[in-house]
Amino acid sequence: MKGLLKGLAGAAAMAAVGFTGAAKADDTIKFALLQDFTAVYTFVTDEYNQGQRDYLRLINEEGGINGHTFEALIRDTGNEPQRGIEAYNRARREGAVLVDFLSTPVSRAAVNRVLEDEIVMITVLHGRGDASDGQTFPFVFPMMATYWSQAALLADYIDNHGGGLEGKRIAHVYIDSPFGREPVPVLRELAERKGFELRTFAYPSPGNEQSATWSDVRRFRPDYVILWGAGGGQPVSVREAIRNGIPQENILSVVWMAETDARTVGTDLATGVKRFEAVATGTDYPIMQRIMEKVIEPGHGAGPRENVGTTYYNIGVASMAVAVEGARIALEEFGTPLTGDKLRRGMEMIEDFDAEGMMPPVTLSEEDHQGGGYGRVSRWDGSAWEPVTDWFNAHQDIVWEEIEKDAAGFREGR
Amino acid sequence: MDFSYFFELLINGALTGLMYSLVALGIVLIYKSAGVPNLAQGAMVMISAYVIWMFTSMVGLPVYVSIAVAVVVMFLFGLLAERLLLRKMVGQPIIMIVMLTLGLEIFLRGLGPGFLGAAPKQISLGIDMMPIIVGDVFINREYLIGGAIAVTMIALSLLFFRTRLGTKLRAVSDDHVSSWSVGISVERAIGISWGIAGVSAVAAGALWGSVQGVDWTLSMLLFPAVAVVILGGLDSIYGVLVGGLIVGILGSVIPGYVDPLVGGGTRDVVTSLIILLTIIFRPHGMFGREDIERV
Amino acid sequence: MFYRQSGVHHTRYQTARRLWPLPTDQRIVWLLLALAVAAPFYMSDLYLTSYMLPWLIWSAAALSLTLLMGIAGQLHFGFAAVMAIGAYTSIHLTRAGVPFELALIGAGLMSAVIGCIFGAAALRVKGLYLVMATLAMQYLVDWTIINVPAISGGAQATLSTPSVSLLFVPLRGDTALYYGALLWAVIVTLLVLNIKRTSFGRALVAVRDKDFAAAVIGVNPFKYKLLAFFTSSFLGGVSGAVLAFCYYQAVTPEQFGFNVSIQLVAMVLVGGLGSVIGAFLGAGFVLLVPIILTNVVAYAAVAGWLTVSSNLLAHIPLMVYGGLIIGFILFEPLGLAKIYDNIRKYFLVWPFRHTQS
Repeated sequence: MKGLLKGLAGAAAMAAVGFTGAAKADDTIKFALLQDFTAVYTFVTDEYNQGQRDYLRLINEEGGINGHTFEALIRDTGNEPQRGIEAYNRARREGAVLVDFLSTPVSRAAVNRVLEDEIVMITVLHGRGDASDGQTFPFVFPMMATYWSQAALLADYIDNHGGGLEGKRIAHVYIDSPFGREPVPVLRELAERKGFELRTFAYPSPGNEQSATWSDVRRFRPDYVILWGAGGGQPVSVREAIRNGIPQENILSVVWMAETDARTVGTDLATGVKRFEAVATGTDYPIMQRIMEKVIEPGHGAGPRENVGTTYYNIGVASMAVAVEGARIALEEFGTPLTGDKLRRGMEMIEDFDAEGMMPPVTLSEEDHQGGGYGRVSRWDGSAWEPVTDWFNAHQDIVWEEIEKDAAGFREGR
Repeated sequence: MDFSYFFELLINGALTGLMYSLVALGIVLIYKSAGVPNLAQGAMVMISAYVIWMFTSMVGLPVYVSIAVAVVVMFLFGLLAERLLLRKMVGQPIIMIVMLTLGLEIFLRGLGPGFLGAAPKQISLGIDMMPIIVGDVFINREYLIGGAIAVTMIALSLLFFRTRLGTKLRAVSDDHVSSWSVGISVERAIGISWGIAGVSAVAAGALWGSVQGVDWTLSMLLFPAVAVVILGGLDSIYGVLVGGLIVGILGSVIPGYVDPLVGGGTRDVVTSLIILLTIIFRPHGMFGREDIERV
Repeated sequence: MFYRQSGVHHTRYQTARRLWPLPTDQRIVWLLLALAVAAPFYMSDLYLTSYMLPWLIWSAAALSLTLLMGIAGQLHFGFAAVMAIGAYTSIHLTRAGVPFELALIGAGLMSAVIGCIFGAAALRVKGLYLVMATLAMQYLVDWTIINVPAISGGAQATLSTPSVSLLFVPLRGDTALYYGALLWAVIVTLLVLNIKRTSFGRALVAVRDKDFAAAVIGVNPFKYKLLAFFTSSFLGGVSGAVLAFCYYQAVTPEQFGFNVSIQLVAMVLVGGLGSVIGAFLGAGFVLLVPIILTNVVAYAAVAGWLTVSSNLLAHIPLMVYGGLIIGFILFEPLGLAKIYDNIRKYFLVWPFRHTQS
């Protein structure tokens, strides 16, 4: 009880401090990074969030945009919608113009609210894929390839680099959840068009034990396996695939496959496994070099140094790079103060932005909030993920059919 | 009907079930002596895996030395948990004890990932990953070793209950008050059973941690372990063995044939149904002791 | 002094059995109700929509569970599933064009019927085994919702609530939603308070204390256990529907997962088993403490008082929260309601603390 009272008193005092702070700092732009640090998304959040904060720090170190600096508001939501909504309402009060939940349940619960409050929500590689339809979701920006685009791209990779899809047997092995099932319609449509045989195999969440599923997969004798999972289930999938005699080269994965997963599989054993890649990995890019020089070296980094340049770190950097670019355009075109609506219009004017080579060129428009659905395939070479293709996109017609179908569903309240 | 498919599901399922038994063993040991359903056992498995990882990666010990260190650490942890938390709960309603262990689980889920990092970590036990191939049946080597360790642990527990200390534990599990009256230190006996539960959590943590990586999801092993315990009987060590085999086999064979038909993973359904049906038809499980209630 | 008992004379049984016989208690209740009704006028929208509103709805849910766990003594670790059934039923009914008021009743009935199936296990077992059985049913309901697209709403597994009106007032805007939630919380509170003093409530208490003994004095435990599950699931189902319509405005399966069931049980236990005020305090504790802790820790970090890694920072609230639950159960097993009761008792005899109360 005493602790509770103390907490309440403390919170009230802190809130007062927060509000006065918000009143005077006029030209800082606030991005709310209200993510899940403690529950389902822990496998990605740490590195992702670190990348986002380091990039914002870099922009501030370089003097901001026309004198505007950025501030990140960070809260843990624990993947719980009610905590996410509280954090969102608080951030909105503090003047945030952009939110990033990195949690599908929380972003789903927030969609109606951001549309009403006119605050930009970025849903990088999570959330509703149909939010790519900018007309239905004016304030929601997936910004990178949706799961549908990723599935189409992986299939196209097999088509062009794996000896054609015609007559192939492809196994889609997924975690039993809406996320795992999401790409199935696209793959089915492609199977019909390209004439390959598709079978889907679900394993129970959280995926720490999949042996029964893989006994079945092996008897299907697939030419290629597409893995659709995240976190702890991914290395288990790869190990089971290898154990069941599927060559590493024929294992392809959704974007959620990183250095840690390869290490859990075993760095040598994982050699040859391929994955979809939305943002380049490593530190050999101008932005990363500047982050090293101006943020990490002086000791301003937001987390452990060894995380810099990992897959999820770079996705975090890229997500903020696009958002900051949107803010820059918005400030140039529409002037201060930056509001959610101006930021949205700014982001919709982004054209061929590639974060100095770190990511595929993104072009957003009023209709298209996905940015083209570009990506590439990379391969684990024993120590790092090496790209094996250029940036490309594939079968966007099928992807957009899905987007429009689900967006229509959303308009009807689904 | 494809018999090799059936056998493969059967064997791998049985081995998986034995690995669940490793988690379940701790719950049974504690329930047997203290009558406390320890729902924090999953979190203890997670903490064990984190401790092993800490000593291999941060201190640089060989993995098997780290496991030995973890055994000591978790034994002490069990003693402490009993001394500081559960001993104060004697005589409280069961729901309070259940909630206390759940509170402990929440606390541990903050503690391990908070101090040691939430991103997945690796433990490598150096087990060859390639399967043992018998005809057309692939047997998972990791599970085979895990299953063997589980059987060993269960056998050791059974033997342990035949030692002098174990006899005392059995007396305690029969009746606290009469054990007291013949001079057995009930507190010490219960403390030791918590310590041993900590040790079995280390075995589970090492094996499962090497299979799936170390992060908080290890604590979700609690659910299949609960099914094992309910099916086998809350206070029976034989029950852990048999219950583990059955839960593992049904959880592998049934989804193997049903999943393609319903298009979804049905293992959790099977596990839930095992719990439900056991409770409805034989609440005390296959080998558990039936509670006799007096008005 | 504050709780003056002199001059309070009951000449009829009705007055002696009033909910709040002491004038001071009545005044406190009226004051709290007035504060709650006036909340939209003095609270900022942040505190109204993110603290008051969810707190009221979760309190109603915790009260429903208190009726089952505290008064009838039947443990339930799958109450979030019951709420999910209510939420999904109400959404599907309103989408089919049924008026919202009827949809709420339909949601309650659906939850009550399925809740009774949960209760069937209670006819056979109790205590720990009931915990496990209800936990298994929670998984079954979750699985069904996720795996039947007709229920969960297709590929995105999200269903937005259609715009509806409650008693001819459109449920739109913070204030209307808040009053909807307040109305439901008041109804449930009065209902549970009254159940406690009826023969139904006393029968439930008899079953809780010892079901065999209850059978001996002529209370049919089977009937009353099932009735307890029915009533409590009905209230829980409607609470789930209110939660979906007044707060989330879109339902997804994750909103009613296993961890929510645990949170509900924690609300009831931390508040104090069987206490109505405890349900409110417990819901406030379990719902708001993690949020407040997260904010306090975040501000402390921004202010530079806490210099640790962001990872540890995020996990501190989890540890403190778990620690607080442990602490409550160890040091105040009767929960927050007992603390309230102690304070009330203190003032009951204040300033003559040595007199008997």
